[in-house]
Amino acid sequence: MTEISLTINGAPVTASVEPRTSLADFVRDSQRLTGTHLGCEHGVCGACTLEIDGEPMRSCITYAVSCDGASVTTIEGFDDDEVMEDLRQAFTENHGLQCGYCTPGMLVTARDIVRRLPEADEKRVRLELSGNLCRCTGYVGIVRAILAVLEKRRG
Amino acid sequence: MSDTGIGASVLRKEDRRFLAGRGNYVADIAAAGEVALAFVRSPVAHGRIRSIVKPEGAENRVFTADDLDGVEPMRAPSKLPGYKPADFPALAIDKVRFVGETVVACAGATRAEAEDLAQAVEVDYEELAPAVDMLEARKPGAPLVHDAWGDNIALATRTDGDMDSVRARAAHSVTREFRMSRQAMVPMEGRAVLAEWNPRMDQLIVHTATQVPHLIRAGLATFLGLEQRQVRVIAPDVGGGFGLKTYVQPEELVACWYAMKFGRPARWISDRREHLIADANCREHHYIVTAHADEEGKILGLEGEVTVDAGAYSIYPFTNCLEAAMAGGNLPGPYAIEAYGVKTWTVVTNKPPLVPYRGVARPGVAFAMEMLVDAVARTVGREPHEVRMINMVPASAMPYTNIAKKTFDSGDHAGAVAKAVQMIDIEAVRERQARGEPDGRLIGLGFGSYVEQAAHGTSVFASWGVQMVPGYEQAGAKLTPDGGLELRVGVQSHGQGMETTLAQVASEILGIDPENVSVIHGDTGLTPYSTGTYASRSIVMAGGAVSRACKVLVERMQTIGAHLLQCERDEVRVADGRVMGPSGDLPFSEIGRVWYMNPEELPADVDTDGIEAVVGYRPEPDHGTFSYSTHAAVVAVDTDTGAVEVLDYVVVEDCGTMVNPMVVSGQVYGGAAQGIGTALFEESPFDELGQPLASTFADYHLPGAAEVPAFRLAHMVTPSPHTEHGIKGMGEGSTIPTPAVIGNAVNDALRRYGAEVNETPISPRRVLAAISAARGEAA
Repeated sequence: MTEISLTINGAPVTASVEPRTSLADFVRDSQRLTGTHLGCEHGVCGACTLEIDGEPMRSCITYAVSCDGASVTTIEGFDDDEVMEDLRQAFTENHGLQCGYCTPGMLVTARDIVRRLPEADEKRVRLELSGNLCRCTGYVGIVRAILAVLEKRRG
Repeated sequence: MSDTGIGASVLRKEDRRFLAGRGNYVADIAAAGEVALAFVRSPVAHGRIRSIVKPEGAENRVFTADDLDGVEPMRAPSKLPGYKPADFPALAIDKVRFVGETVVACAGATRAEAEDLAQAVEVDYEELAPAVDMLEARKPGAPLVHDAWGDNIALATRTDGDMDSVRARAAHSVTREFRMSRQAMVPMEGRAVLAEWNPRMDQLIVHTATQVPHLIRAGLATFLGLEQRQVRVIAPDVGGGFGLKTYVQPEELVACWYAMKFGRPARWISDRREHLIADANCREHHYIVTAHADEEGKILGLEGEVTVDAGAYSIYPFTNCLEAAMAGGNLPGPYAIEAYGVKTWTVVTNKPPLVPYRGVARPGVAFAMEMLVDAVARTVGREPHEVRMINMVPASAMPYTNIAKKTFDSGDHAGAVAKAVQMIDIEAVRERQARGEPDGRLIGLGFGSYVEQAAHGTSVFASWGVQMVPGYEQAGAKLTPDGGLELRVGVQSHGQGMETTLAQVASEILGIDPENVSVIHGDTGLTPYSTGTYASRSIVMAGGAVSRACKVLVERMQTIGAHLLQCERDEVRVADGRVMGPSGDLPFSEIGRVWYMNPEELPADVDTDGIEAVVGYRPEPDHGTFSYSTHAAVVAVDTDTGAVEVLDYVVVEDCGTMVNPMVVSGQVYGGAAQGIGTALFEESPFDELGQPLASTFADYHLPGAAEVPAFRLAHMVTPSPHTEHGIKGMGEGSTIPTPAVIGNAVNDALRRYGAEVNETPISPRRVLAAISAARGEAA
């Protein structure tokens, strides 16, 4: 077991973890933050995407021990975030979710797209989403939602 | 139309929790003292178990079939004559029949510890020759999956038509062979179960990711030797199903057995590798089809041979024969055909069981039939959409009973083709095709049409011989003391948005705001019996039942309202969430207050059943609704690399009355994207030893946002004459034609080579192979 100290959703956390424990299992099982979903556990589907030090990362292939000193934000930690609020509204208005399982990871990636690529067009948004799989929506509502938020922020 | 009733695109109520990351899936639920299970799975496709050695000291945490006292192998009965049941054991007994079959169960404090234990178990197998390819397995002398059968044929059927007369009259007999590859369903949430014995309730409480909680309850009780009252199945939030989550699975039985045996909760959460290699697969069909057509392309007769690779075991409750039965019944599609003959074989092989995936057999059926229609069109030298239109059942003939005895309820099929032709702008596409692309790619245009029987009821399922025949769907509606509404339905919503759409149906009848309606679903302890969510049935059946139940509440409220408003009962109406009389009106909360809290104010003639009703509903006739659609796509094919890009994709669909057009469109888009996956990317290949070759998302390719086109969609609305509100089922539909649409578009592009693809997925390798074959080169 290795002791780690990190910040999760703004609060300090100190815990002992096995070296093999993924960050996803750590936040879900130890911290009971179950909004981070596991869809493949090999870094392809993006359902487990969360933010580490401001960057979107796949928590299923990130070891918890490697996050000592890091600041981690899960979907539960964006409740007061302005961009996330816009995205959540746009996702519901554009029917960007059905079963909801890919949604937390999708939102974290979408927030990154909106912040990093304010001028992104549809083609670019689709390309940027290639690390997040959705099986329900055919991506139509997701792409529309992200474009709507980009448009809104461009004024 | 009200802004919250039927026809309104009400934003989904369920979205809030999902967007906040507060959904509640099985894996999110923790139980005190729980253990996690992991399984030792067979590494060979076919073999005898010589010995199993448990790690020393772990005997109480490692279990084989011999340990599972009281657990019966799963049997899925069918009344179809000649059906051979292929019993599915929770843990392998003597023999293993596919790679990934559960052999040994291990329990640990965490999944990781359970997996450590599984690593330490030693199993010795005597490998046997496997039956891998269904056409080889069908032949005499093939290795036997089930030794006692004598062959590998679970069921063979034959429907004879008067083919001789049409053969004689036909100007062209066009024969083609098609194959739809095996694939996985891949809901983003895998299968998951948490089982717990509750002594106070004398009940096994099973949280499981399922579409059909009441059927799972029946199966668990049967195979565990319990009474059904002793089993409560709860499907909380479920992360997609698509058909995968309709059968009782071995891991579920083991978790239940453990919880009962040791009095501790047991969980098993599938990982993606387990899904890709060991869960039931889908889709694997082979067709040889012949159309006998006249000079104009009018198809007089159709003959088919359908083979379905059902894998090793028959899944409970729907059996392994449903696919072939549906294929045989659906091959004629939306066309008026004089003579039809079909033979079907359901073949067992050393692969995972087959379970119906969104669209059930019809994507395979449409892949064969719709590509055959295009082959006919090429043969007679006409545009494929014209050949479709002259063969379709005309709107004036509705209702129409087709050659396979399916009665289409309503619709204008040719009208949908015409609209698709207009939307895709066929002249512009043909011009572009003739002009040629600067990058040398070839442009192709493809169409595909289908009719989707949905919400088929008692008579249809009874004829398929399955044990679980749906009957009257029930819904409970209860006015709460403060004037809100609770709906209880036995179906399960796992993405379809029924917490919103069923509330809209209630809103249509009662005028109540959907915000004040709770939809309780997916829990056998809280809801009326239902066979659950499959066959695109839920909005037709549960929606109809909710409508009827709310109408009963209206009558009950009218009686109470008339008394309180001091008027005659027939002067009272219920609208806008209020009970209205000639001289005043009351909110529902007043009715609730009087019934629950102040019954001294009730009239003498009050209905003593109160303001709660459970009402059953079944459309009459119950043969199902018939949504229909035509899709059209433009593709670009790179003949150097074999790559196919979808440039444009249009859908024209008619599912009758739309309860929520936004939700309908979402189902269309999602289904079409899955169809693109089947058409171009998704395949679970096996080598000659029966080893699965796609066990990660690196090998099993799902369509992403960059591969899926921006679908363009138009709705037509022809209500069903047989259902409440004219609703038709539609959730599965748009997966059906997509592989054929893409296949037809590719073949249109390759026409100059005389090349045709005939197998999904239409991968670069298959495109290049088709071109090589047409050039007479070795593949």
